[in-house]
Amino acid sequence: MMQCVKRIVAVAALLGVTVSAHAQGLADRVREHTFANGLKLLMVERHTSPTVAAWIRYRVGSVDERSDERGIAHLLEHMLFKGTKTLGTTDYAAEKPLLDRIEVVAQRLTLEKAKREKGDASLVARLEKELADLEKEAGTYVVKEEFAQIYNRNGGANYNAYTSKDGTTYLISLPSNKLELWAAIESDRMLNPVLREFYTERAVVMEERRRSYEAEPEGKLWETFLASSFNAHPMGQPVIGWMSDIANLTRTKAEDFLHRYYAPNNAIIAIVGDIDPDKTIAMVERYFGAIPPGVPVPPVAVEEPPQQGEKRIEVVGDAGSELMIAFHKPTLPHRDDLVFDVIDMLLSDGRTSRLHKKLVVEKQLVAGIGAFSAPGSRYPNLFIISATPQAPHTVAEVEAAVYEELEKLKNEPVTKRELEQILNRLEYEEARQMTSIGGLARNLTEYEAIAGTWRYLIEHRRQVATVTPEDIQRVARKYFTRENRIVGFITPQEVAKQ
Amino acid sequence: MNRLCRLVSLSMMLLSLAACAAAPRTVDPRTLTFAPLDFTIPRSERATLSNGIVLYLLEDHELPLVNMTAYVRVGSVYEPAELTGLAGITGAVLRSGGTTSLSPEQLDAELEFMSSGIESGIGEDSGTLAMYTLAKNLDRTLELFTDVLLRPAFNEARVELAKKNTREAIRRQNDDPKAIAGREIHKALYEGHPLGREATMESVGRISRADLDAFYRRFYRPQGMILAVSGDFNPAAMKARLEKLLGGWRPAEEQLPPVAAPDTTPKKQILLARKQVSQSVIRMGHPGLEKNNPDQYAVRVMDYILGGGFTSRLTQEIRSNQGLAYHAGSRFDIGRRFPGTFIAETETKSASTAKVIGLMEGIIADMTKTPVSNEELQQAKESIINSFIFGFARADSVVNQQARLEFYGFPAGYLENFRANIAKVTREDVLRVGRNYLHPDSLTVVVVGDDKKFDQPLAVFGTVREIPLETAK
Repeated sequence: MMQCVKRIVAVAALLGVTVSAHAQGLADRVREHTFANGLKLLMVERHTSPTVAAWIRYRVGSVDERSDERGIAHLLEHMLFKGTKTLGTTDYAAEKPLLDRIEVVAQRLTLEKAKREKGDASLVARLEKELADLEKEAGTYVVKEEFAQIYNRNGGANYNAYTSKDGTTYLISLPSNKLELWAAIESDRMLNPVLREFYTERAVVMEERRRSYEAEPEGKLWETFLASSFNAHPMGQPVIGWMSDIANLTRTKAEDFLHRYYAPNNAIIAIVGDIDPDKTIAMVERYFGAIPPGVPVPPVAVEEPPQQGEKRIEVVGDAGSELMIAFHKPTLPHRDDLVFDVIDMLLSDGRTSRLHKKLVVEKQLVAGIGAFSAPGSRYPNLFIISATPQAPHTVAEVEAAVYEELEKLKNEPVTKRELEQILNRLEYEEARQMTSIGGLARNLTEYEAIAGTWRYLIEHRRQVATVTPEDIQRVARKYFTRENRIVGFITPQEVAKQ
Repeated sequence: MNRLCRLVSLSMMLLSLAACAAAPRTVDPRTLTFAPLDFTIPRSERATLSNGIVLYLLEDHELPLVNMTAYVRVGSVYEPAELTGLAGITGAVLRSGGTTSLSPEQLDAELEFMSSGIESGIGEDSGTLAMYTLAKNLDRTLELFTDVLLRPAFNEARVELAKKNTREAIRRQNDDPKAIAGREIHKALYEGHPLGREATMESVGRISRADLDAFYRRFYRPQGMILAVSGDFNPAAMKARLEKLLGGWRPAEEQLPPVAAPDTTPKKQILLARKQVSQSVIRMGHPGLEKNNPDQYAVRVMDYILGGGFTSRLTQEIRSNQGLAYHAGSRFDIGRRFPGTFIAETETKSASTAKVIGLMEGIIADMTKTPVSNEELQQAKESIINSFIFGFARADSVVNQQARLEFYGFPAGYLENFRANIAKVTREDVLRVGRNYLHPDSLTVVVVGDDKKFDQPLAVFGTVREIPLETAK
């Protein structure tokens, strides 16, 4: 029903009913269109400069992985930069048999290596050599980074992609006369990707893991903390995968994941900038309209069982102390999630926020403190407070001071002025989020995917306005409990040795 | 209802000229052609207040927002060596320390209730004071901005808090291996110059409120200050308002003290900071060039081919071909007031550290030996020229860009001629500037990692000097 109404609106617009773009809020400026194959297109026309941002978001992220394919959503995101049957190759027909042989050898090698010390070392050496020779031969057909070459030559900026628990996004900004280039490349990427150079890229991802999680003490705490927070739900598993997960991923697993989920009905496109929406719809139809739909991404069936008592996680590291305190909470559209948005701003937004005033300025226990919801939003998540203790103060002192502030939320109603300040902030944010075409494209795809509609962006402030001081007390009492709490901290090496 | 939906949808597809193709069509993106882009560099209005403050203004009524940034001729290069850290702390407390009429708490409360913001900072060769506000709160936010700029209080307790936070940052400065490597190569390349100094527990300990106040009084003044204003305002009214608020500000004129140019002689040195991590951080480079050098356009093209982005030689060989790193690249940072640096960087697992250092040195050296290919040259030039418009995508980036060009004294026509200057670069130019400005035999190499696990000792590259990583108490 909803879809039908939207389509009628779209037709009216196609027939020449134009809408003035001057000084309107987001509500009046987003043009929405759903194609027959389920592909969703969101557009905002904006002529400040002759540029356009184009984002494609797939509704599939690391929570949708099975346990034997952890890390595949992210590795696949890397692999989709490697080209298609047309791009990135001089001769796909000649290249394909080599790619098939590589896969056979690589799978045998991966299996043999998984036996670890029980494996046959000479077989591993032989397979490694065979793989290297085949990859070298296949490499003679490769045109390196051809997507990037073409985009860059045409003035592309911010060409990138990212994978989260919730989804996978491919983004670029282009001079607006080049939008058709985007459609040609991205429809080819959706329909005909070739995952060439897979095993070299797998090594690149292992380096990415070392760089972001192993060499950085905070990264190490973050991933250990999240994994310890969830007993059952994949929300706790690292997006990039554990090192041994990555080492055991194969091209076949990546292709399975690709063919299962990368289809137009699981994709949301946002195009923001110097465009003509009618022509843009026609162009997207031309390039993407005939791509067949696939199966919708099924819901993650596993439910996180209620936590039975406080969890405490220590990471000993070559670094100063850090503290994280988290509480399990529901996600949107649950009303309590909205109340947490308010609590988040009360506690940590700006210099007047409660935690900053009390712990940074007054007690001087921390050098910095923040609060946020993480690690994803499609399934119940965590409300997290993160603090950097200031010497000579200890994690225990900081923890006690944070709990004191959380108790205040339970026992004393917040003031009207505090709530008014939050609404003023959201009014400003509504305007600010429209200043960058890329930022707006990000928000539109993100909320369409997570909340089910981009309109959440405009409804959010109205919803927040209904949050009462009693709501905040109720939510604080319900979730800020010892049983529901996870505490993680870095203990500096030299302290751990004492 | 469903059937009606399908009918509507069908008519729409016909209207939108949708091909009812049986099979998905593929167009070769390499063969597409495009209409020319209609683009001229947007200009902002330049004006001057009676006391010499220069304004750049650009109206943009699309959103009810106003942004303003003041550029101040100050910087850490002017702080006395024994007070290193003074500029950074002055920049922070200018805002956090309240004004003569509002306590820090009052200032924070009033700004944040309106959802306006004022932020201040001092870098190596400039200071900024920036504000943002909803248009409806412009008047009051401008008054507060003026108060912070002209009448900061440097509240004693906030000075102590800023010092405490700076000391905590020093205590933690060896936590992140990438931060260690970045700091150490910067120190090594600017050794003996104010740009190469780092705050210490001792230097921060010596800083007093009186030092902040004196530093502020010496450098914050109308002469040479530039304001960039953009958004939802009336320019005539804005100019009159700024004249009223700031035009009467006339502190004593004083010449900015001269700062000697840094020594730009490249030095071959291998520096090792030991840290028990599974991945080594590698940085290598030497002093670079500054903005008045006419070779900068050829250098930019060379730099793009060597280390700029996915298509660069460093990324393709180290990441894409060999799978040895996630990130590999290089950058000539073209100095605005002082010669900048050339730095190539990557991170790789301990067991491939020496291999990657050798690869990087070889790839850098190649740029000085043989001309780049025509394809590489075209790729680099077209990319730089065609993405130029992204510097002007927002009103605030337009005014700030123009303000910075004047602030740093870029030659007239710099922006207007930029694309033509890039277009002129030839393969011969790229080889020539490679030979003149890259020094593969005199690289300063910094490695942070676990040297017991390296594939070869760093001594194969030259004499190794260890940088001790001590945790300050």
